[in-house]
Amino acid sequence: MDRRRMTLLGVGGLAALVIAITAFSIGDNLTYYLYPTEAIERKAEFEDGARFRLAGLIVNGSLEGSAGSLEFTVTDGGADIPVFHTGAVPPLFQECVPVLIEGAWDGERFVSDSAVIRHEENYEVPEEGGTLPSC
Amino acid sequence: MLAFLGTIGVAAALIGAILLVVRASVVARGKGGADLAGPVKLVVAGSMTSMAAMQIALALDDFSIAYLANNHATATPFPFDVATAWAALEGSILLWGLVLAGFTWMVFTAYRRAPDRLGAAALAVMGIVAIFFFGLMTTVANPFEVCVAAAERGCLDSSPFPWATADVPIDGRGPNPLLQNHIFMAIHPPLLYLGYVGLTVPFAYAIGALAISVPGAEWLRRSQRGTLIAWSFLTLGIVIGAWWAYEVLSWGGYWAWDPVENASFMPWLVATAFLHSALVQQRRGMLQAWNFVLVISAFALTILGTFITRSGTIASVHSFTQSAIGPTLLGFLVLVLVGSFTLFAQRGHLLASAPRVENMVSREGTFLANNLLLTVFAFVVLIGTMFPIILEAVTGTRVGVRGPFFNRLSVPLSFLLLLLVGIGPVTPWGGATPQLVWKRIRGPLVAGLIAGLLTAVTVTRNGWVVITVVLGVFVIASTGALLVGQAGRRRSKTGEGLAAAIARVTKGDARFWSGQLSHVGVVLVALGISFAANLSQHQEVVMREGDQVVFAGHTITYRAPFQQRHPGKTSSGIRLEVVRPNGSRVTLEPTHNFFPGHPNGVATPAVDTRASGDLYVMLLTLDENRVATVELDTSPMMWVLWLGGLTVAAGGFLSYRNRRQERAPARAEAVGV
Repeated sequence: MDRRRMTLLGVGGLAALVIAITAFSIGDNLTYYLYPTEAIERKAEFEDGARFRLAGLIVNGSLEGSAGSLEFTVTDGGADIPVFHTGAVPPLFQECVPVLIEGAWDGERFVSDSAVIRHEENYEVPEEGGTLPSC
Repeated sequence: MLAFLGTIGVAAALIGAILLVVRASVVARGKGGADLAGPVKLVVAGSMTSMAAMQIALALDDFSIAYLANNHATATPFPFDVATAWAALEGSILLWGLVLAGFTWMVFTAYRRAPDRLGAAALAVMGIVAIFFFGLMTTVANPFEVCVAAAERGCLDSSPFPWATADVPIDGRGPNPLLQNHIFMAIHPPLLYLGYVGLTVPFAYAIGALAISVPGAEWLRRSQRGTLIAWSFLTLGIVIGAWWAYEVLSWGGYWAWDPVENASFMPWLVATAFLHSALVQQRRGMLQAWNFVLVISAFALTILGTFITRSGTIASVHSFTQSAIGPTLLGFLVLVLVGSFTLFAQRGHLLASAPRVENMVSREGTFLANNLLLTVFAFVVLIGTMFPIILEAVTGTRVGVRGPFFNRLSVPLSFLLLLLVGIGPVTPWGGATPQLVWKRIRGPLVAGLIAGLLTAVTVTRNGWVVITVVLGVFVIASTGALLVGQAGRRRSKTGEGLAAAIARVTKGDARFWSGQLSHVGVVLVALGISFAANLSQHQEVVMREGDQVVFAGHTITYRAPFQQRHPGKTSSGIRLEVVRPNGSRVTLEPTHNFFPGHPNGVATPAVDTRASGDLYVMLLTLDENRVATVELDTSPMMWVLWLGGLTVAAGGFLSYRNRRQERAPARAEAVGV
């Protein structure tokens, strides 16, 4: 085999390896990112306990409990989902704040263990959603 | 009035850029000389005028300009009022234009010293990029639109015509709360932009060389200064950005593989690869085609980064709301990629008659491996960043990529890179026997293994930390042995002291040794990351007034909550008295800050930085009964990370300075057009 072909084979093999490892790793680390309206529409897909991220606003007056076992409702204006949150919370985690929580369906409620606040200035209602509750 | 001045500045710069492209292409094609000084000066003067107009408007609280109405407030204190000029989309493009004008001036001064076709071609490319950015400012990202429908705070509707009748709001909305919390946030965008925009310089010379078929490494030699300054500022911008995230964002971290962070990291990786491979071409004439690919990619990645951060495509901390700028930037990116690579495909083989790397056991061999690793690294980050965007664009499904994806791949790549950092500099150019290289790295490797063993026995059994220590000490020992060896040979000849000999050696090959300084910085960064990722401790506690907790050797007492009013913000927080492990005392005040016009507050952590490590305190919640939930973190030796980052950048700046000195005598070589 000549040198050129060997180099090509080597580089091609390496590229294939890198792409394979990348694809494999990314598949492991993807999470869906859904608004309450979509999460309810696609509930069947996630009934088996598959994790996803839920994005929405914490409904005013719904936050109860203390760190480690918080209950609140997340809304996108179109649908509301009751949430039981077991994990830590970021600073200023409170009502009327847009959040992104990760967890899975448990019956009619969403059980989450990680939460971040979405630091976006203008919280926008997704296309199919209704209007946001006043805060 | 100021809207007029600003608009005139932008228009002048745009006209200057168009004239520059027209005239510089005439010169570049060898069709005679033309005055390029006029257009360049117009670009510079225009961009300076527009930035000056913006700054005066900010100082005078001129809310007739929509950008100010939406991003500035009377109460915004110094220096954040100055920084507001680039805190949002339109202003950041304004800053981009100013920096681009500066780099165009830099390319022009080189051309003025020695006018030739390549210099003119590079100026034409700079002009094309300038047309795009000043064009943005006259269309989809106009920073001087006049507010024609005022809201209570801010502006509802605006007109691009500066003569429109203004409806002036009483006060503006003020900058995004996250952006007015720390001095780093004011200085980090200009640093990053000096890096981003600076990468236009090597791109311009590369495309210029391809367009008029100038073979060899001349374009590399010309763009060296630009590349080095861009790379150094990009490094500094990334470090300061990470430091800001740590001090302000209050999730206790400095890096989250956020798309915006990745946007700055990808061009850095490719530019780092280019710094090394450019050296190979200059020393050995190899990798010529590869250098074109790297430079075009680095520039394209800066445009992609701007698209990611400025189009609002990705939900991220820094993203801005959707506007027409997204598709425009994407269009420009496609134009850059298609145009550049078409040119490269047509002309590349004529210019890049590349001899191959014959012997992998050589400096160029290690550089080739380093380039491979760095580009794979950039590719991985690119996939992780773009995959969600592409998937959403194609299928409408929103997904996120978790941090572990990046960590899983970046950790082994970084370890391999560190290993190469230790081997490369002691491997001779042209080739050597494996025995020689082994002889040179054997000692340092043993030193690394001993250090690793000591770490495992006395500090931690954490495998990642031990591996990082082994590799880090290996690199430093390898570089140190090289330095001491060269200094020793000098001493035996001249009989001078060791310190004097070391100073002579490093001065004698200043380029090489400033590069080694950056390598030492890389080692420190690796150690800092490894410590923070593996040895930090966390605890969440609920505290009432007077409560005391013991955490990682610190005794922490909750004294009292407090409320403060500052110009432009109100803060509420708690006062904690901390007795450090060594018995000394410090008061920490983690707070929540609230800004008028913004519903959601921002938490600011309190950090006690000491040589042994940081105590990092976040106030999670504070209720009406004065009960506080507090998160406590400790990271050993965080300062190593910041020091390392600054050292990497310092190596770049030193190298820049030295190349500048080397250039000075070259004036005499000037040739006419």
